[in-house]
Amino acid sequence: MTALSDILHLLITASLWQSVLALSALLLLPALGGVISERSGVVNIAMEGMMLTGAFFAVYADLHLHNPWLAALVAMFAGGLMALIHAVVSIRFRADQIVSGIAINIFAAGLTVFLVNRVYGLQDVGHINTSESLPNIALPGLSSIPFVGQVFFDQNVIVYVALILLVLTHIVLFRTRLGLRIRAVGEHPQAADTAGVNVFRLRYGAVITSGILSGLAGAYLAIGISNTFVPNMTDGRGYIALAAMIFGKWTPFGAFVACLIFGLGEAIYYNNSIIHASPYLLSALPYLLTLIVLAGVVGRSSPPAADGIPYVAGGE
Amino acid sequence: MGTGAVVARPRRRLPVIGRLVRGLAAPLGSVLFAFVVGGAIVFATGANPLDAYQGLLCGGVGLACAQGENSALQISNSIVYAIPLIMCGVSVALPFRAGLFNIGAEGQLLAGTMAATAVGVHFAEWPTVVLLPAVLISGAVAGALWAGIAGVLKATTGAHEVVTTIMLNYAAQWLLRYLIIGGPLQPPGEFSASAPIGSNARLPTFLPNDSAVIVFGLPATVYRVHTGLIIAIVAAAVFAVLLWRTSLGYEIRALGQSQKAARYAGVSMRRTIIVTMLIAGAFSGLAGAVQIAGVDHGMTDKYFSDTTGFDAIAVALLGLGSALGIVLAAVLFGALHSGGAVMQSDAGISSNLVLVLQALILFSIAANFLGAIVRQIPGVRGRRSAPPSGAPATALVTESATAPPDESAVST
Repeated sequence: MTALSDILHLLITASLWQSVLALSALLLLPALGGVISERSGVVNIAMEGMMLTGAFFAVYADLHLHNPWLAALVAMFAGGLMALIHAVVSIRFRADQIVSGIAINIFAAGLTVFLVNRVYGLQDVGHINTSESLPNIALPGLSSIPFVGQVFFDQNVIVYVALILLVLTHIVLFRTRLGLRIRAVGEHPQAADTAGVNVFRLRYGAVITSGILSGLAGAYLAIGISNTFVPNMTDGRGYIALAAMIFGKWTPFGAFVACLIFGLGEAIYYNNSIIHASPYLLSALPYLLTLIVLAGVVGRSSPPAADGIPYVAGGE
Repeated sequence: MGTGAVVARPRRRLPVIGRLVRGLAAPLGSVLFAFVVGGAIVFATGANPLDAYQGLLCGGVGLACAQGENSALQISNSIVYAIPLIMCGVSVALPFRAGLFNIGAEGQLLAGTMAATAVGVHFAEWPTVVLLPAVLISGAVAGALWAGIAGVLKATTGAHEVVTTIMLNYAAQWLLRYLIIGGPLQPPGEFSASAPIGSNARLPTFLPNDSAVIVFGLPATVYRVHTGLIIAIVAAAVFAVLLWRTSLGYEIRALGQSQKAARYAGVSMRRTIIVTMLIAGAFSGLAGAVQIAGVDHGMTDKYFSDTTGFDAIAVALLGLGSALGIVLAAVLFGALHSGGAVMQSDAGISSNLVLVLQALILFSIAANFLGAIVRQIPGVRGRRSAPPSGAPATALVTESATAPPDESAVST
């Protein structure tokens, strides 16, 4: 029973919820990217690789430019470039999008360590540390509200950015012409094409956006949360973001709820000194939860109709 | 033939050699593409690609060794790496034929290592004739069950196997960490490693386990190449026979061709999906068990970063889904893995370049870059005997998120 009361005690501390939100934002950015990409009809399991690329280039740029903001931009650019490869291969060359996604993830894992070795002369396990990091910003006034202030208004700058992007993605996808077109292209590209929508341009845009968001998440991980690049430091978070996207039924807010659940799990993991369960079993939980969701326990979760199907203009 | 056939150009069947060359063009072209682009990446970072590839060549096949490495040892290492790749490659290729994408070979392999280790440690005193089969079978069963979860979910709720197998991969990884870090398989005093399996649970190596015996200038014990190779070759043969000589194989291929047609032909989709995934998982689980029984003799933290099951996707694709192709592709990737280590020590270039090459091979074969380039060459277009859709890469263009790859293209 002590374990249970320990957990309950942990759950009413503001610092726990502060880290829940911080960790959720890390998952939210690539999850939003996944939602945008898949809503346009391009399957994207490559957030992991795009994040990792962003993380490396954030640290690389930070060390050279001594400016975390520019470093974050470089990371977004690098993530976008990775996404461009995925876009060209799966839209222009109509390759299987899953194979392309796997290839991006393998490519990123190999390339980042290869570059660590080439640029810094370190062997495969090397850490690269930076000093300039993306700052935490305590919003004046608001952050002094008890509990709520610490949870919502004393966060890393990227957390605020992620929450703004969450609302923005929802509005764009469901309240604008652009969003309608993106969804149309993902559900029925032939019809959208006939109606004069440029299927290819929208899909390119959506995939590249997912890379930019994932790259930003990588920067947040490497120069926001930690101040270091470690090989394979994303450690499956891009895949958890994918799970969050499915969990949230391909909607931004649904994905956010899933990110909060997964973030809670991870935050408890970091506070495991007072939890007596194995942290490793807790880590398996998001994946098992996703399986349960997919098993239809909480209603069906199905992707956009044309998700994963390359579009051939005038075809079919 | 040929009389007055000016309009309809006469077309003889290509001789065997010609067809072989044509069949090998796409995979070999993909490998070539990867080496050229990979070389460019190495060059761009200020290193000499030739040094890198010399290291790969030495570590892979024992040729052109700069530091006088033992050739036989390098070849032995390459084969050791190739053994699980063959079995996992088959594990990816079989569901491919049914239109299922098994990304979960890694998780299934890990499930196999966990079960095999548990049995090999717990029943260490059993005699070899009982224990070794028990270890291998438990690995295969664990892998089958792990994949079976994805199969059942696909068959009953339609949950996409790509997503479920990804989740199962990570679940297996964390379960493995739990088991050997503070869990039941961690012996007292050890960290991040299980106890070694009993000596009766081990697959024999081909060479005598005696350091007094000198083979190719080195003690026989350094050559790790083991009898798991025979199991892997048999697995590849079983895959081919199963696919082409049994009614289940027919059902798998029918399902892969068209779900609708398969249904009309009386194929039970649900049953075939589940059985296919069970068998696929068994191959990967067996690979894990063979790895434990033949090489590692217990689980260590190196399995946390194991990528065999992911490499197997490239192996299955590069091998064009045929048994022989998979064996050849596995040998290539085994050689690349073994070569990566030598490249790192000799040329100082990270062995992770091998991952870059592997990704480039995947991009190339999936997108059929070679075909696209060939089609750009003037005059080639008209002379192609097969339309672009016959190229292997288009096999990967799925009809929908759940639809199977185009069977006819896979088999070209």
